[in-house]
Amino acid sequence: MTATPISFQVSLPESTAKVFSQGCETTLDAFRTAGKAIVARGVEMIYQSGSQRFHALKHINLEVNKGDIHLLMGPSGSGKTTLLSILGGILTPTDGGICLLGQDITRMSQSQLSKFRLKNIGFIFQEFNLFPALTALENVALALDVKGIKGRAAKREAMGLLEQVGLANKAKSLPRDLSGGQKQRVAIARALSGNPQIIMADEPTAALDSQSGHAVITLLRQLAKEENRTVVMVTHDPRIIDVADRVTYLEDGILQNNPTAIHHQKLA
Amino acid sequence: MTSIARKNLFEDIPRFLVAQAGIMFAVSLVTIQVGVFNGFSRSTGILIDRSAADIWVSSSDMVNLELTIPIPASHLALAQQVEGVERAEALLLGAGIWRSSEGDITTVRLFGFDPDGQLFASFPVMDGSLSDLKQPYTVITDKSNLDSLDVRQVGDTASMGSLAVTLVGLTEDTQSITSSAYLFSSLENVKAIATGGRSANLNCRLQNGEFFCMNVFGESPDENPAPTPLSATDPVTHVLIKAEPGTDLQELKQRLQQSLPNTYAFTRGEMAKRTRAYWVQRTGVGFILGLGAVVGMIVGSVIVGQILYSSVADHLKEYATLKAMGVSNRVVYSIIIQQALWMGVLGYIPSLALCIGLGFWTFATQGIMILITPLTAAGILGLTVFMCVGSALFAVQKVTRVDPAIVFKS
Ligand SMILES: Nc1ncnc2c1ncn2[C@@H]1O[C@H](COP(=O)(O)OP(=O)(O)OP(=O)(O)O)[C@@H](O)[C@H]1O
Ligand SMILES: [Mg+2]
Repeated sequence: MTATPISFQVSLPESTAKVFSQGCETTLDAFRTAGKAIVARGVEMIYQSGSQRFHALKHINLEVNKGDIHLLMGPSGSGKTTLLSILGGILTPTDGGICLLGQDITRMSQSQLSKFRLKNIGFIFQEFNLFPALTALENVALALDVKGIKGRAAKREAMGLLEQVGLANKAKSLPRDLSGGQKQRVAIARALSGNPQIIMADEPTAALDSQSGHAVITLLRQLAKEENRTVVMVTHDPRIIDVADRVTYLEDGILQNNPTAIHHQKLA
Repeated sequence: MTSIARKNLFEDIPRFLVAQAGIMFAVSLVTIQVGVFNGFSRSTGILIDRSAADIWVSSSDMVNLELTIPIPASHLALAQQVEGVERAEALLLGAGIWRSSEGDITTVRLFGFDPDGQLFASFPVMDGSLSDLKQPYTVITDKSNLDSLDVRQVGDTASMGSLAVTLVGLTEDTQSITSSAYLFSSLENVKAIATGGRSANLNCRLQNGEFFCMNVFGESPDENPAPTPLSATDPVTHVLIKAEPGTDLQELKQRLQQSLPNTYAFTRGEMAKRTRAYWVQRTGVGFILGLGAVVGMIVGSVIVGQILYSSVADHLKEYATLKAMGVSNRVVYSIIIQQALWMGVLGYIPSLALCIGLGFWTFATQGIMILITPLTAAGILGLTVFMCVGSALFAVQKVTRVDPAIVFKS
């Protein structure tokens, strides 16, 4: 690294996206992305349905530190889910580059991207998205199975994950026999399966009452911190801000601030 | 992965049962159509199959077992002289009308053969024996004909023309379902019965330089005149040949055709095939039953496709979740195809059992065989799997098009 910090204090030029899309290993990015799990540069998202165009994300530049619990907040319709889907490689942005764990996912083919997600990202959803026909244990084991851990080993590991989320005694229950909070804990166990470095969650507490919502997030934070995982979480819920390391606000598809370091300020 | 396919399937038992009923309907329809076709085709040639003759010699005009022109009985002696012939026996076909003791009539087909012979009636006789046929005016028939002949048991009598005929034995699995009831008897008996115990006289006189001839039929003076043996001038229908061991049958056929004028020789297999082909093609039965089978396949595919499609639609969010997690399309498809295979196999097994049971029942009560050979069973399993997987591919499209981004939508 020959670059000095001073030469990069200026705001990024419009052409950053282009520079970035050359890869994550340029000198510029090597400096800027050190210690970052996620770097987004110049991300634009335009939804096109028929003749309707909707500019959902406007020139998003975002960095998420490794090991952080990073919240995305903002009013309804501001583009939080859209941004999370793009950061997670589920949605392809209209323009811009996204670097996850040092790899430019916008340059990957669909199947490369699928493999990348399978290995590196765990997803948690507002509606849990558990498989209703499978028990808690089987839901987790299925995720392990598709990640290459099969049969009895998968069952054993799934049981370990359920223990971590405190649901070993509910292993044989079907999702319909679990409370919302329990379902989300199963979903967390599933997201943690295969030990991904990044967890992406979209309003994981929205379907829960505030108490179990808080409990679920505290658990998620604890499990993430144990393994230095990075968590990006979309939320409306102001009560879970204290669990986060940083918060980014979105409004009308525009980032409102540089990530605010919650904990660091509070602890300082 | 297997478990998710299976569990998604069994999650909604009523829907699963509806699906299985649909598949069973389709599979049974196809099986019955094919089975009836097999049984039909088998039965039309069953007598030929069950004969011990290596070669059948018939008129060169012969169309099938029953539709042919007589050949002279003297051919029997000629055949015996052909090199490579170990045995030759005559088969005489006739037709008649059977009047039961109740007075009901039905047409019958008579097969006359030598009860001491070896080539035609190599089938077992229950309740009686072939040698009973040496008695005048005795017949044996398939037990499935008891109802149509309106007789109960061995010993019952009926009349044919002016003759009293006695049932002396029963056979099994000898009746063609396309024909009138078969009656088996000796050559002498058939010759006598076929003429109905009537005598025919040709009266001719010369009038103005032209002959005027008149056939005069009259009742024989005796009630049951003694049957007379076959003479060289009598007609026979087929000559059955047993070849000497080691004889080339194709060459023997040629020699027989040369020695016996206006005849054609067939191996047993060729003769059976020719007769079957006639019935299958001329009656259009193959086409009709085939059509039924195709309809069954289409109905089955639509039902399976419909059920799988709605199952996939119901679980779309789960499939999208898998895709969002990074599971490849191939794996997602394999889950759906596994579901289809489960449906296929679980529909096939009971359907086949049902059809086999049904086959026993129709054979016992109607004499109609639903013949499910191992090859048929395997073929129908293949068709079922093809049908289910084909329908699954239709349902798979829905998953192909699903946008994994829907996972974040509630
Ligand atoms: N597939 C789509 N086609 C067209 N417009 C879309 C599509 N998805 C989202 N949008 C629009 O993009 C904007 C951002 O949507 P998004 O779901 O990201 O908002 P959000 O911040 O997650 O909202 P909420 O808090 O209600 O979940 C909204 O105005 C939405 O109507
Ligand atoms: Mg949202």
